[in-house]
Amino acid sequence: MTFIALLTKELRLRLRRERFVWLIIIYLLVMGLLGFGFLLRANAFSGGYQGYLLSQIGAQLYALLSFIQLFLIVFIAPAFTATAINGEKERQTFDLLLCSKLSAYSLLAGKLIAGLANVLLLIAASIPLFSLVFFFGGVSPLQVLGTLVIFIMTAIVAGTFSLFCSTLVHRTTASTAMAYTFCAFWLFAYPVVSILTLGSSLSSKSRWYIWIQWLNAWNPISALNSAVSSGQGGVGNFYLFRLHLAPWVAFTLVSLVVTIILFLFSIVFVKPDPVGRFLPWFRYLGKKSEQS
Amino acid sequence: MINIQHIYKRYRSVHALEDFSLEIPQGAIFGLIGPNGAGKTTLLRILGTLIPPTTGQVWFGNEEVTQSPTMIQRKVGYMPDFFGVYPDLTSEEYLEFYAGIHGISRRRRPNVVSDLLELVDLTSKRDALVETLSRGMQQRLCLARALIHDPDVLLLDEPASGLDPRARVEFRELLRTLQSMGKTIVISSHILLELAEMCSDIAIIRAGQLVMAGNVEQVTQSLGGGNQIEVRVLERVTDAKKLLKEMSEISNVLNENGDSELIQAEFSGDNQALHRILAELIGHDIPVISFAPRRAVERLEEVYMSITEGASAI
Repeated sequence: MTFIALLTKELRLRLRRERFVWLIIIYLLVMGLLGFGFLLRANAFSGGYQGYLLSQIGAQLYALLSFIQLFLIVFIAPAFTATAINGEKERQTFDLLLCSKLSAYSLLAGKLIAGLANVLLLIAASIPLFSLVFFFGGVSPLQVLGTLVIFIMTAIVAGTFSLFCSTLVHRTTASTAMAYTFCAFWLFAYPVVSILTLGSSLSSKSRWYIWIQWLNAWNPISALNSAVSSGQGGVGNFYLFRLHLAPWVAFTLVSLVVTIILFLFSIVFVKPDPVGRFLPWFRYLGKKSEQS
Repeated sequence: MINIQHIYKRYRSVHALEDFSLEIPQGAIFGLIGPNGAGKTTLLRILGTLIPPTTGQVWFGNEEVTQSPTMIQRKVGYMPDFFGVYPDLTSEEYLEFYAGIHGISRRRRPNVVSDLLELVDLTSKRDALVETLSRGMQQRLCLARALIHDPDVLLLDEPASGLDPRARVEFRELLRTLQSMGKTIVISSHILLELAEMCSDIAIIRAGQLVMAGNVEQVTQSLGGGNQIEVRVLERVTDAKKLLKEMSEISNVLNENGDSELIQAEFSGDNQALHRILAELIGHDIPVISFAPRRAVERLEEVYMSITEGASAI
């Protein structure tokens, strides 16, 4: 019940702000204009759609819109959650939340879901744009499902990491900078490493190779590339404990694990004196080890 | 009753509270007095379960703060010195939100919110955005928030700061109403006269240590702040001082060697004693133009200034 009260308050506060309406407008304008530009270009090259396979245009438009959406999500999701906790501290409302029945879990879950609800609203607002693709064909329902899952998981990971930053540092500017640094690393680490190791012949058993594979498995660009190109985008499949997984499935699984870990860390850090609260445990363990 | 037993609070090398013990009677309006950095806010935050003491115990009846913080949170309403509000919510939504996170059922919330808005005289501002309320109104709204779960104990940190005189009087009246409802109110303030008028008991804190605690009159008197009279005469200042010194009710004439027409003297006794002093002066044809007794509580500020002189802020 406390969680619902927090969620209601958060949604009220966010959706009443004029800037949210502007965000939706700009978000759709960016996607719409780039999509429209692509269609104009395709038309100019082919001299009309007759000479060009409509399904190819559909698939390429879908891929373009999906990548734009992915970058926008990574750009926008931290903005909603990177100041969720330290923003309350700056506003001097955090103590009032601590005095209530609100548990650390409810507080964080409420903040995260409220932040993600905004991102989901943006994704939902873009559905009419994406539906244009179906006039051209070339995109299967499984691809749509795969990309949708990648969008949601990307928003969840970016949102959870940003929330974790807001529990960790006191200043909102610092937590926002941390969140964006992480997102940039997350997006571009694998492509950069791939380019750097392009000419080298790493053994599949080397430690570096395994790390690069994990980076690949958790990279949203690779996952989206595999989803929009039905696994033929040069990304290949991922093998996890002898399981043969499509890259977007591997991405989803790794993202879920990372989200859970980040959320648990956030629970530890959100309440005051996180180290002090564990001191009795450390003392107890110390005594135990002395006795043994 | 709140029983604070030998608590210490350290922030790295800073000792905010040191061996601090205090008893706060049930139903009292208890004032905490001390300079900035004395440890008042730290004490209130410990009582509100926001921070644990480094060592020591705080008991609310049979429950200890660090052992059962959840139980204590149900009993305590906390109003910090600086508090933020959510500007885009209305007064009603603001209270409904806090009712929700205090576990009040959705069915009960409208009644609780209406009652509290009425108590703090903000019914007419029910649909007004919080950011449009004046500072005094926001203060009253925050007090309503602290009362949302009907706590037995209210912890108010500098609640009258930033309020204009009228808002202060209204706030004071509100606290008296709450006391009559059986609430124990622990309040810290720098406006000492206001505390003296409002509180049944006070504690004076300096550099994290308790200087003295108890009934307001007793504390002020025991710290050298006994009752005084101020007598202004037209002439015969020396005769008036000599006469006053001879009276049994007068313990000391403070400005004995000065030529000022304003004579200050310490006295002990009741209104009858005051009447006798005035009658004696008039009887000896001393031209008295004003005669003003000053009770101990009215002198709290002077006492406070003397005991906190040179106190270093933490």
